[in-house]
Amino acid sequence: MITRAIISVLLVAVLLYLNVNYGGHKEIVPQHHQRFTKITAQGRQLTPWQGPWSCVLDNQLSLLWEVKTDDESIHDGYWTYSWYDQNKGHPNFGDCYFETARCDTQDLINRTNTLSLCGQTNWRLPTESELASLLQSPSRPGHVYIAHDYFINIQKGDYWSSDANTTLSQHYEHLKFGAKAVNFHKGSVIALPYRNAAFVILVSDITQTHPLSQLSSRDTPLKQ
Amino acid sequence: MRRFTFIILHYVVILSITASLLSGLRIATLNKPYLLQFSAVLPNGQVHTLHLISGITILVLVCYYIFFRRRYKKVTVQSNYHKFITYLGYLSIGSSVLSGSLLLLDWLPQQFVPVHYYSALVMLIYLLLHSWVYILQLGHKVLKKVFYIPLRFIPYQLTVALTLVTCALFYYMQSLTHTLNITPISSNVLMEIDGIGNEPQWQKAASLLVDTHHGANFYNGYTPVQIKALSNHKETFFLFRWADPTQSLNHLPLIKTRSGWKVKENGFYHFDEQSYYEDKFAVMLSDSCQFGADGTIHLGKQPFTHHPSNWHGKGYHASLDGRVRDLWHWKAVRTNDMVLADDNFFGPLAVPLNGQRRYKAGYLIDSKESGAYVMNWQWYSSHMIIPKRLPKEKSNTSEPVLDWFASTPYQVSLDTYPVNAQLSSVLYRSNRFEGDRADVRAKGQWQAGYWTLELVRQNQTHSAHDIALNNGTCIWVSAFDSSQIAHSRHQRAIKLRYSL
Repeated sequence: MITRAIISVLLVAVLLYLNVNYGGHKEIVPQHHQRFTKITAQGRQLTPWQGPWSCVLDNQLSLLWEVKTDDESIHDGYWTYSWYDQNKGHPNFGDCYFETARCDTQDLINRTNTLSLCGQTNWRLPTESELASLLQSPSRPGHVYIAHDYFINIQKGDYWSSDANTTLSQHYEHLKFGAKAVNFHKGSVIALPYRNAAFVILVSDITQTHPLSQLSSRDTPLKQ
Repeated sequence: MRRFTFIILHYVVILSITASLLSGLRIATLNKPYLLQFSAVLPNGQVHTLHLISGITILVLVCYYIFFRRRYKKVTVQSNYHKFITYLGYLSIGSSVLSGSLLLLDWLPQQFVPVHYYSALVMLIYLLLHSWVYILQLGHKVLKKVFYIPLRFIPYQLTVALTLVTCALFYYMQSLTHTLNITPISSNVLMEIDGIGNEPQWQKAASLLVDTHHGANFYNGYTPVQIKALSNHKETFFLFRWADPTQSLNHLPLIKTRSGWKVKENGFYHFDEQSYYEDKFAVMLSDSCQFGADGTIHLGKQPFTHHPSNWHGKGYHASLDGRVRDLWHWKAVRTNDMVLADDNFFGPLAVPLNGQRRYKAGYLIDSKESGAYVMNWQWYSSHMIIPKRLPKEKSNTSEPVLDWFASTPYQVSLDTYPVNAQLSSVLYRSNRFEGDRADVRAKGQWQAGYWTLELVRQNQTHSAHDIALNNGTCIWVSAFDSSQIAHSRHQRAIKLRYSL
């Protein structure tokens, strides 16, 4: 009887030890996104649950995307711009706080390059295919057609691409030419007149020698 | 034959008590976090159903055993020690079954609610002293003595009869509901959603009082909720009144420290804040009225194998049967000034997002066209934050909500606040939501230890994420006292009965 008592007490002690030390206390760790990585304004890589971040590295297209804000800076997601590129398009027909006149896409490009966002000075409008590659089904009801956990402050509206000289149709036909835009509310690509006020996400090419070009997507868990 | 009947009863009672204890302890982790230490051995998922089935099985066995003992008297010969332990078993099982049945019916007086939990603990002690001592005395022979039964001696008729009775009782218990009679009013009657409820129609409305338990911070976790409802042909008005000794509007305040701003919290990092949070009230609606919040409760740290764990270890809400459950979530700070309840729903499991630390499973938000509240930090960290905006007027720091246009983007040069200064963490970008999320108008007022919440919604919204208000629609209510997720709850659904 004493032997049985000792064995059963030992058994209970071992079970309690295993439960307390190994049972159900698995650490919760973030998983890398297969395509995107958060980058700080200074160009430093962050893990998925870290922030704030100013750019998103696109490991698939080797691009750096501008991240919009809600701080009334030049990157504020509420600002709109008319499409303008030197002599083409329509200047100063959008709305922002950072220009004394109204705003166009060239204003944002110039300002962002001057400030070297995320260490880059080659910011530009994305091509239609680059911008449309961000389209994905909303992950939550009514959300925008983009990875909104990486691309924050994205509005339910049109975003300019660099593809100009597009023939306009239907009720825009009289304006003849415009530029392509991606609508993240409907997940569609449309042609808009240059004078329209639309939103902008800038993009920057990563060169082979850039430190961020060494990053690639990983699927291993990592510690926050 | 009576010995083999006893063995069968013993078999079933071992299984049902084990299932009942484990599922019950899992449910108890919601308001007794120390039990999470044993999370590894507790079942995950929809344990309420398991708890109900096992509880009903024990109830049926108790009833049959009383008959069995009256008929057969003694089955086994016991020492004085085992006689004493057996009486302990009778006491714990009896009080557990009785308190559990009353809890299920929402009839257990609040001062006796802890009896159910402590009965379970006594039952654990009983099981240990009963089975362990038999094992010590008899060794492996106890297995043959307790479990061996030749197939030909199995009392099939009795087993089938008890199973049928259990199933019938389970079906009956599942279908038990409260009834809320909705008083009709004319479409010409003007009802003001102001949280006062002083319209004469409310005085004439039928009232239902539901006891809710196990909420954080309430007195002993208990608050009774009085419910009234009025309806014209298009809308239904609800008046909820519940006891809450404190009006909690201090929602995750930002505190200036010597090293910068910090979020004042006690659990928010694990998404289970229970000190610095606003009061809230939630109403769930469903076309069906099943036990366990209509099957939307999935307890445990990781109840869904291929989806992320939760940080507090308690569980998730989700609706996995292809139907949504509507959820109106009134928040004393974030939505009250909008005169809205946040229109949410329980739906299928959402796709986990790599960039979001908190996964909410099936707890989802109706879509909106515009309007929002946002938190007043650029990025949340438990150590330090930088506010998103500062008030334009420094005297405006004690308000629970900071208006977007009464504030300005944070700049170091403007941050001249002294140590211990406090700022609101809630920013209104606009004065209300627009769209599906804004379907429920609601306003609450706190006075003398009670919240009064007036709420209205159209009977038919035609939204895929809303439940229509019809005769037979069921609702469940929960109150939150300064807590993020630790809400009070009741068991039986409340069935709406319209007389229009």
